[in-house]
Amino acid sequence: MSAGAAMAADSAEATPHGRPAPALAFVLFGMLFGLLLAKAGATTYDYYAALFLFRDLQLMWVIGAGALTGALLIALLRAFGARVWWGGGRVEPAGKPMQRGLLPGALLLGLGWGLAGACPGTVLVMAGEGKTSALWTIAGVGLGTWFYGRLAQGRPVEPALADHAEASSPASGAPPVAPGA
Amino acid sequence: MSEPAAGAIEAASAVWPGWLGGVAIGVFTTLFLWATGRVLGLSSAYGEACGALGVDYFRRKDQGFGQAWRLWFAAGLPLGGAVAALLGSDGWSVQTSMGALYESVLPAHTAARAAVLVLGGACIGVGARMAGGCQSGHSIAGLALLNPPSLVASAGFFVGGIVMVQSLFALFGATP
Repeated sequence: MSAGAAMAADSAEATPHGRPAPALAFVLFGMLFGLLLAKAGATTYDYYAALFLFRDLQLMWVIGAGALTGALLIALLRAFGARVWWGGGRVEPAGKPMQRGLLPGALLLGLGWGLAGACPGTVLVMAGEGKTSALWTIAGVGLGTWFYGRLAQGRPVEPALADHAEASSPASGAPPVAPGA
Repeated sequence: MSEPAAGAIEAASAVWPGWLGGVAIGVFTTLFLWATGRVLGLSSAYGEACGALGVDYFRRKDQGFGQAWRLWFAAGLPLGGAVAALLGSDGWSVQTSMGALYESVLPAHTAARAAVLVLGGACIGVGARMAGGCQSGHSIAGLALLNPPSLVASAGFFVGGIVMVQSLFALFGATP
């Protein structure tokens, strides 16, 4: 596949192809992910209620088998030194860091999950399926995110992260919707 | 093992066995990483959208934002949902019901229902940013990366969900 990658930096932007994955690829990946979530039952509200009532563990199996399969396959990618198709750098996924507020945030998200019967991703798929309730939940997630962003506005800059993020995003200073423009 | 009564849960289209859906999602997560170099995640797309609407925090590179791919990926999800519904036996249709279980505990009045869902969504939005990710980033991708903070977050998600749904059914549920 991505041959001639010896000189490539590990940044997704410095690529032997000269470019990161195009927007259309992400849209198609999103479509496929949405379809899989629906087929897994993750876009059916009642599977969430049934899970938390311990009546039907469908989604427990989905998450368990998903994480296990992903862990095995990603370990294989790493073992074989696989290179990113659109990028050329080695597949070296960074795990999310431990951060202040992780546990209370996770609990709060869980409360909302149980109340609305949806996650930030699945609720978008539900809207596409024609489930009108999803629109209210999406509005709520947007409001909550907006509220957090307003409160976090003055957070001090973390230079190390700034450098790292700069490498993985070309549109510095521009609004994040820039790629079409 | 779970053996729900036949027809206990009505999905929009035929649902695969849980393990099969999980394996498919695990393969997808890996292919997505391999192809794009990106770790799967969705809650940050809401941040990117807020950034586009002028919330400066969500344009800050040092906080991990300013990554337009997240918006494109999120935009694909409703399309996938539409395809799933069209492939289902009943085709695509507008559905107002949330299913037998949720309908039995959430308010039936439209405005009250909307308020509950917006509140639930807001908890999800604030919580996801505090936790640095949601179920896709922490529970699907994060667990696949064997990342300890993601294990903590996933446990927190489940505890919150169990507390909320058990409380809902204890307070408002008719005895089945």
